[in-house]
Amino acid sequence: MPVHAEAAVLAPLSGGPTAIDLKERVRSTASDRFMPYLLGAAAIFSGLIVTLLVFFVVQKAWPVFHAEGLRFITAGGWDTQLEDAWNGSAFFGVRALIAGSAFSTLGALLVSFVLGLGCAIFLAELAPAWLRRPFETIVQLLAGIPSVVFGLVGLMVVVTFIADHMVPGNSGDVVTEIPIGGACLLAAIVVLTFMILPFFVTVATDSLRAVPRSYVDGGLALGMTRWRTIMRIQLPTAAPGLIAGLVLAAARGIGEAIAISMVAGAIAFMPNFAHGPLYMLLEPIRSMASAIVENGGEAMDVPSIAAALFGLATLLLAFSITLSMIARWAFGLFSRRMGVVSDRNL
Amino acid sequence: MESITKQGNRRIGSSIGIALCWAASIAVAAVCLFIIGYLVFQGWHAINWHFLSSDPVASLSEESAGGVRTPMVGTAILVLFSIVLILPVAIGAAVYLAEYMDERWWITRIVRIGLETLASVPSVVFGMFGLAVFTVGFFKFLSSSGTEGGSMAFGRSFLVASIVMGVHILPFVIKVAEEAIRSIPKSLRQGALALGMTKWRTIRKVVLPAAAPGIATAVVLGMGLAAGDTAIVWLTLGGTMTMASDAWWRVSNWLPVLRGAGSTLTTFIYFNSPAGDGNSPGAAFGAALVLIVLVLVLNLTAQLLFRRGSKAGS
Amino acid sequence: MSGTRPSVSAIRKDVPVSDTFMTADPRDTFSLLEGMLSSSAPRVRDGVAPAIFEVRALDVSYGSKRVLHDVSLELPEKRITAFIGPSGCGKSTALRCLNRMNDEIPSFHSRGKIMLAGQDIRGKGVDITALRRAVGMVFQQPNPFPMSVYDNIALAVGEHEGRIARSTMDGIVERALRQASLWQEVKDGLKGSALALSGGQQQRLCIARALAVKPAVIMLDEPCASLDPISTARIEELLLELSTDYSIVIVTHNMAQAKRISDKVAFFLMGRLVEMGDALQVFEAPARSETAEYISGSFG
Repeated sequence: MPVHAEAAVLAPLSGGPTAIDLKERVRSTASDRFMPYLLGAAAIFSGLIVTLLVFFVVQKAWPVFHAEGLRFITAGGWDTQLEDAWNGSAFFGVRALIAGSAFSTLGALLVSFVLGLGCAIFLAELAPAWLRRPFETIVQLLAGIPSVVFGLVGLMVVVTFIADHMVPGNSGDVVTEIPIGGACLLAAIVVLTFMILPFFVTVATDSLRAVPRSYVDGGLALGMTRWRTIMRIQLPTAAPGLIAGLVLAAARGIGEAIAISMVAGAIAFMPNFAHGPLYMLLEPIRSMASAIVENGGEAMDVPSIAAALFGLATLLLAFSITLSMIARWAFGLFSRRMGVVSDRNL
Repeated sequence: MESITKQGNRRIGSSIGIALCWAASIAVAAVCLFIIGYLVFQGWHAINWHFLSSDPVASLSEESAGGVRTPMVGTAILVLFSIVLILPVAIGAAVYLAEYMDERWWITRIVRIGLETLASVPSVVFGMFGLAVFTVGFFKFLSSSGTEGGSMAFGRSFLVASIVMGVHILPFVIKVAEEAIRSIPKSLRQGALALGMTKWRTIRKVVLPAAAPGIATAVVLGMGLAAGDTAIVWLTLGGTMTMASDAWWRVSNWLPVLRGAGSTLTTFIYFNSPAGDGNSPGAAFGAALVLIVLVLVLNLTAQLLFRRGSKAGS
Repeated sequence: MSGTRPSVSAIRKDVPVSDTFMTADPRDTFSLLEGMLSSSAPRVRDGVAPAIFEVRALDVSYGSKRVLHDVSLELPEKRITAFIGPSGCGKSTALRCLNRMNDEIPSFHSRGKIMLAGQDIRGKGVDITALRRAVGMVFQQPNPFPMSVYDNIALAVGEHEGRIARSTMDGIVERALRQASLWQEVKDGLKGSALALSGGQQQRLCIARALAVKPAVIMLDEPCASLDPISTARIEELLLELSTDYSIVIVTHNMAQAKRISDKVAFFLMGRLVEMGDALQVFEAPARSETAEYISGSFG
């Protein structure tokens, strides 16, 4: 082979075109025929994993949904039911856990929307050029901090602060049936806010930057101030992008298990408006995701608890799939508005 | 006269708005720097040679949690195994999505929706998924037998955790790698095709080498995600701080260690925080400092690679 | 490229002046000037060359948009043929049909027959890689691969020859670079990145890369569009040298360039081949009024 190749390539290049044979098979093309299928299999497999995931989780959760139906969602009393399950009881109601997830996520969304929008406008429009890179790096840094570290710092700083300075009367005061000790809904909201904020900021900044410069110039030419063009032109145009960012942040918040488990008190207490809005914030909660990690060890050996935890996982899955569909829709809207022909934005 | 006042009001409104944006940004930056500073301040004392070179002690009393050697090894095993396991699939899928797939094809749409959905699934659900699948008796070879000695597998081991973690990071790695491949200029592909290279040879010899920095970015980002996750590890590696064998470096112990439960830096922190059973915050802060340094190094590497990649791409 | 062409009245008023004169290095300018002045009239070469490509009734459309109508032409062997015409006239599309690069575009459709050395390039059993090996192509933007100068050529050769002894490969790389008049400039930096070369050097590397796989035809799609005048002159010189061994097709906007280097000229307008003939005839005595208008407009 080498000898042949040498002879072939050393033949003078000059002296007329080499005989042209278009049917010549230059190289073995087995891999050419074979690779696309292999790669396609990898792509399709990756895209279908999520169905496997849904299948296994729902299948394992089936007993609890079959036995309880909707009462699994509407009934409360998780903590005592969990105790009882060790003694053979098999009834669960996760209403308080859903409420815990919802309150902590919605609270964090609200705060991180306000803060994050400020950051996004700053990054996209206001920041001087030299400050942009460092600030972007800081936002990415924040996104990279592991949730357990957020939990640790939240527990040592935020929870301690709330216990020392915000809990009324003597610490450990029992107003209702639960102890108030700093680990609470408010701590969960604070910690969650900074966990989901970078995801919102990144998407929101990109959306604001995607608004065509000509729109802004048009506003400026009409005599609007820079700030007015941001508020009246850029934000409304970028709105679907902002919504998508918010939805993605919500998906992250609702699935956060570790940090919330560490700072929110780990008691499945139904936040009660009757206690007043401020006091309610100081009461402990337990979220769906944190209930799973807190009991995902030995308790999994008890079939009824395992089924209930898989039931929670199913609910989380339903929430995250719904949210990702909403985000997809919002991105689609945004892309069409920006005239981008693509649906690959997530 | 009125119009002037109105303008004045507007100007004040603008100034306030701009000031609020600055304030929000400064607050966020301050929080981020505070977290890191606080970790350095608190974790500094814990870190010494003994802490880094000794193993965790199964003890419930304060300040006897031992060191973080096996958790560090655990993090390394998990990160490397999960990325190595999924890399062929991730690159294959990224190449297919970027080079072969027709965006109008319905299967393409399903694959994209599937990947987006997978990326939005919380890691705690991945952990449960891992337990659902790998406790099936068939998978006993990945972990040990279940506690009841029955037909189920234990379902918690480094191998199981690596597979589940791999699936968790897969959509992120695919996405970044696909972007990297797409960013390679068309002219390079045309140049190769015009030389009589086949499509696959063009991809392998020209496109993939050119996209290498971007693919490396994807890998490093994936590693950062794997290193920082707690829920999957807690559920599928078990809550034990020690490994199946303390002498993990002996080749004869490798298989038992991989098939056994253990800990990583993240579960060590969770376990030793005041919220966990270990309750030894000093050790938790030490481990948190080690972890954050690791994750920051990975993320900065990813950023550097990304910049290098985008420079080469243009 | 066309349009603003400064006249250098101090030299010779009646000579169409190319961009080549706009140079920085006076010595280079002078030597180039001599070369240019001697070749400023259309080249005439004796003898009738047999056709290497025969195109019969070629229709091309992208989706529903028709871009080429009923094009038939013959490309002579070992001559330089220039495709000229305004932007969007179909000349690049015609070029890309010859090595089937258009096949990469999903909406591409064509009818008609293209014969290369007597073989239908879309016939049964034709290996597209063999076709593209036989018909090399150089693009408007230099597109060296992001690897070393050496590897750029070695990759191309390795594709077709399989594993080759290192020393043999060294020889092939050197010869290809010499043929492309690049050897002297890069021989000490063969391991350096091809992206570090200047635009003109990159384009000559792309030519070397195409030559290394021993094509019969070399097609160039506005190869000088992104180059400075000095680099342009080097490439023109190179093409003239290569035309003794290779059949060359060049798409160009630059009338002066077409006039300097081509033996045959094909004029395209709105997807149709208006006129094709010897360069001398087309430039001096165009048969069709559209051609005359375009040429005079371009020069005027």
